[in-house]
Amino acid sequence: MKPNWKPYILSLIVLLILFPFIFMVLLSLSSSWRFPEVLPGYFGFKNWVTVLGSETGLLQSFIISTVISLSVGIVSTFSGFLISRAVFYHKKKGILTLFAYFPYVLAPVVFGACLSYFFLKMGLFGNVTGVIVAQFLIAFPYALIFFGSFWNKKIKSYEDLVATLGGTSQQTFFKVLLPLAKSMLLICFFQTFLISWFEYGLTSIIGVGKVQTLTIKVFLFIKEANYYYGALSCCLLIFPPVVLLYFNKRYVFKNLV
Amino acid sequence: MLIGVVPFFAAFIYALGYSFGLLGVLNNGFTTRFWQSVFESGEFLKSFGYSAAIAIVSLVLSIGGALWVTLKFRRELDKKFLSFMMYLPLAIPGVVAGFFMIQLFSKGGFFARIAFQMGLIEKTAQFPDLVNDSLAFGIIVTFITMLIPFFTLLFLNVYKNERIEELSILAHALGANANQVTRRVFLPIILKKTWVLIALYFIFLLGAYEVPLILGQESPQMLSVLIIRETHQFDLSKISEGYVVAVIYTIVVSITAILLFLPKQKNVYET
Repeated sequence: MKPNWKPYILSLIVLLILFPFIFMVLLSLSSSWRFPEVLPGYFGFKNWVTVLGSETGLLQSFIISTVISLSVGIVSTFSGFLISRAVFYHKKKGILTLFAYFPYVLAPVVFGACLSYFFLKMGLFGNVTGVIVAQFLIAFPYALIFFGSFWNKKIKSYEDLVATLGGTSQQTFFKVLLPLAKSMLLICFFQTFLISWFEYGLTSIIGVGKVQTLTIKVFLFIKEANYYYGALSCCLLIFPPVVLLYFNKRYVFKNLV
Repeated sequence: MLIGVVPFFAAFIYALGYSFGLLGVLNNGFTTRFWQSVFESGEFLKSFGYSAAIAIVSLVLSIGGALWVTLKFRRELDKKFLSFMMYLPLAIPGVVAGFFMIQLFSKGGFFARIAFQMGLIEKTAQFPDLVNDSLAFGIIVTFITMLIPFFTLLFLNVYKNERIEELSILAHALGANANQVTRRVFLPIILKKTWVLIALYFIFLLGAYEVPLILGQESPQMLSVLIIRETHQFDLSKISEGYVVAVIYTIVVSITAILLFLPKQKNVYET
């Protein structure tokens, strides 16, 4: 009989997937882990207690990252939804959608480097507002492209039907379009939140080190060779997205193809 | 649309002006010497080739791996637990993946410790260079580990949406063997439905920043790292050369975006 090797391969895949998460948690609980020891000299909650004591500003970074990502997620999602409608009904929607792809495909860090002059002139350099605006500039095209698949002939027919039945444009928006787009709005919010949450290059250019989000902190700890705090920052960086993914996973890829 | 378009063109025009000496503290007027200097030094072409090679190798290996996983484990990955497991790596950003690879593959990292305990090495210097190395091993492995789960989920979704299972059964019924079904049904449909996203990911990898910044070497550098190094250096006279590279890179990705997305616009919303 042919041996069934699938369970072993699947177990290996699951182990490989879980390994980074487990490793990061263990590293964040460690200290005095010198070469060539396979296990750390200290294992406990010292690093986490230090963080809660805010000695390294990690808690502040977590709050700053959350504020920035929530702002970018909410503003990009709603503006993307509203503007994508105008784009869909426009005569030149093909060209307009193509324009949206330009900032989307360009590396954010290069975009930031070329835009930094304008941010400096507008007083948006090195502050949270500037970082939110900069991240919005890359999250908004994503939202615009994302909602492109929502507007179609069927939605237009619904809108026409409501108008025929005497509904106002406000009623159409709040009673028809918003309920229909609810799940897509949620997915888009998650996605734009994650774009902002994971962003490093653009934030480092526009924030010039003054806006210390979690990704900036991870880099600082790598530079300082403080791997324990680096791992702790990584844990704070990856666990909120894990929770979001859990809620998001049923919908994400349905809209990609 | 102005929100999206104006900053892009403003950034491009600024970079273009800087690259031709029309903007910038030390520049005095129109000149093409920065462009000549960039092409004469050859660093841009080297960096572009290096970035493209890394992107292609990472993509080919990732797509190959994801196709294999999809082909072999599609039924198992439908189960709730395994399905969620495949989503988990998407929660790891590039900066964390780079940090993790350093912890694993550096000379004082996890595998070096194991190699020492097993008696394979006696000191850290004997452990091979797997991060910040000339072959970009660390960068490629990181990209692959980030991309395989994404492409697997994508291919699984296409597999269901395009009803490849039913088409495969039909092909079998008509006398095709497993190999033919894979080559004539599975692969063409999957690749045809996803090639735009694959091309898009090539562009994303070409401009990747965090991972090559952590795991790359001094020279050659990937494009984004090179551009930021040049535009943020202390020697102000060299900044214009950084903007030359930024302009070329922007033109390349813009042309690619036009080629990818312009012809399809007519029918994309006709659902």
